[in-house]
Amino acid sequence: MTANVFLIQILNGLVYGGLLFIVSVGLVLIFGLRRVVNFAHGSLFMIGAYVGFSISLVAGFWAGLAGAAVVLAVAGALLDVSVFRPLRRQDPIATVLVTFGLLLILEDLANTVWGKETHSLPLPEILAGSVDILGQPFPAYRLLVIAVAAAVGIGLALWLRFSRVGLFVRASSVDPVTTAVQGVNTDRVSALVVAVGTALAGLSGTIAAPLLALSPSMGGSILIESFIVVVVGGLGSFSGALIAALAIGQIHNLGIIYVPWAATMVPFLLMVAVLVWRPTGFAGSHV
Amino acid sequence: MSRATMNIAAARVASPRLSHLSWLLLVLALAVGFGLPGVVASVLVLTLLTQAVIGGMLAVGVGFLIRQNGVVSFGHAAWYGVSAYCLGLLLRHDVLSAELALVLALAVPTLTAFLLGLVIVRVPGVAFSMLTLAVGQAFHEFAMKAQGVTNGDDGFAIPLPDTLFGLPISTVQQPETMFVLCWSLLALVIFGLYVTVRSPFGRLTEAIRENEERARFIGYRTVLPRAATYAISAFVAALAGLLFALYNGFVSPEVLHWSLSGSALIMAVIGGSRLLWGPALGAVIFFFLKDLAGNMTEHWPAMIGATVIVVTVLMPAGIAGTLAELFERLRKAGGRA
Repeated sequence: MTANVFLIQILNGLVYGGLLFIVSVGLVLIFGLRRVVNFAHGSLFMIGAYVGFSISLVAGFWAGLAGAAVVLAVAGALLDVSVFRPLRRQDPIATVLVTFGLLLILEDLANTVWGKETHSLPLPEILAGSVDILGQPFPAYRLLVIAVAAAVGIGLALWLRFSRVGLFVRASSVDPVTTAVQGVNTDRVSALVVAVGTALAGLSGTIAAPLLALSPSMGGSILIESFIVVVVGGLGSFSGALIAALAIGQIHNLGIIYVPWAATMVPFLLMVAVLVWRPTGFAGSHV
Repeated sequence: MSRATMNIAAARVASPRLSHLSWLLLVLALAVGFGLPGVVASVLVLTLLTQAVIGGMLAVGVGFLIRQNGVVSFGHAAWYGVSAYCLGLLLRHDVLSAELALVLALAVPTLTAFLLGLVIVRVPGVAFSMLTLAVGQAFHEFAMKAQGVTNGDDGFAIPLPDTLFGLPISTVQQPETMFVLCWSLLALVIFGLYVTVRSPFGRLTEAIRENEERARFIGYRTVLPRAATYAISAFVAALAGLLFALYNGFVSPEVLHWSLSGSALIMAVIGGSRLLWGPALGAVIFFFLKDLAGNMTEHWPAMIGATVIVVTVLMPAGIAGTLAELFERLRKAGGRA
């Protein structure tokens, strides 16, 4: 294999890693503030893909992308008010079970509304072609995915670093009790934070839609891999999630090429290795 | 879910000796199992009951883990499915006698779970749930992708021998006899778990569940008992998978899918895991509700999802737990009067 072909594979891994990062960082945001894990996150990704698909049929791809993010942001705010807030004094497992129930309901909803057959979202015309990178053709759309992931990463970093809400989120993900003692009302900011997290799930769903086939079960594998990312990165850690997502993106992609029959086992083995070495993940000193 | 109130049965009895009542209940349960096929004439109901008892066994495994370790597994179908695949593959390649294959089909998942347990019980509760889901799905993907070994999505029929431990193979294929076998094994498993939770080992795991740091301070190693508990619960799941494989004579990746793990968890939640038999009760309710749903099965997942939300929010102790609370309150009221 020449260096050029290898570079293309690295870029492909970056596409998947970027996608995984957008999904995982939504989970990280919610965990940071609420200390719960949203098991319906993969289903929100799937619903986002369908909403984006439906809107793009009428109004075009870009409207679909924006629409999916907005619809899912509203859904996230509702999720926070109706599930996370009422259950916040209970064992986190109660929230996990309720979101697991939501997962089943949302999959059924997608089945009923959009049917079991797979749909595909057409690429926006401007990005349908391919670009030459070092003499190798590379689909232009995939570059968009990388760009969006980078924009999300930088945007979130700035938001968390410089805004008041960002300060609360960072404080709370380090130590929720002390943060509350300092007078931070996490309930006030959490609807916003959860909405951002689910909007990212919706956004990534629509972004992923032209690359994957749309089906009600498409949330499953992304949920699992984003769980691996979040645990390996260290629960609630943004930089940990970034590193883990990029690593698993590469491993996933190279695995599909070289060991297709074991591709899904590879991230899992990596996870076991990391956890043997550090039970709280790359960046996890707390939790 | 990991509250001190969970160990009602265990905390009250100081001596490790089993009461006569528990032996009596075991004998009674076995007698009911042998008698039921005579009373229930309908083969359809018996088939349903057999499925419910096998599902109940898996749910009891999940519930035991919740009760003793205070953590929730979203991937117990892995051990159920690995056991079924082990039996199927061993018999398909005809490498061992069927009896030995049965033993291996239980040993392989139990041992794998123990080794994996040494790694994953060290992560905090919510992360544990996420990892069990990931592990379960990894096995599922493997069964789907490794076409050459597992025949992928289509699965394969298990070539069962003519006799098993001297009994004709029809024993495990006809609902009349298979029901009795599954029911008896379930009763024995619950009894075995009851003995386990009352043993010093059971007490230790409960102490660790309540406060792992404190248990370490007293001088106990905490990873090993937790991993062992995980392995025991995987063994129960594996036994359920083995019974399923014998009864159906067929395996496909469905036995490893997370919806099965989810169903087992839901049975445990509906029934309540505070009492060891709660999940089994949950399974019976689950299967009869599913049967009632009948032509609504299209929306069965959503109904299950709604049920789990309602039960989690309104009845966190589950049906068995709520019944036990009620009974306890009545007893206290009676004592006072």
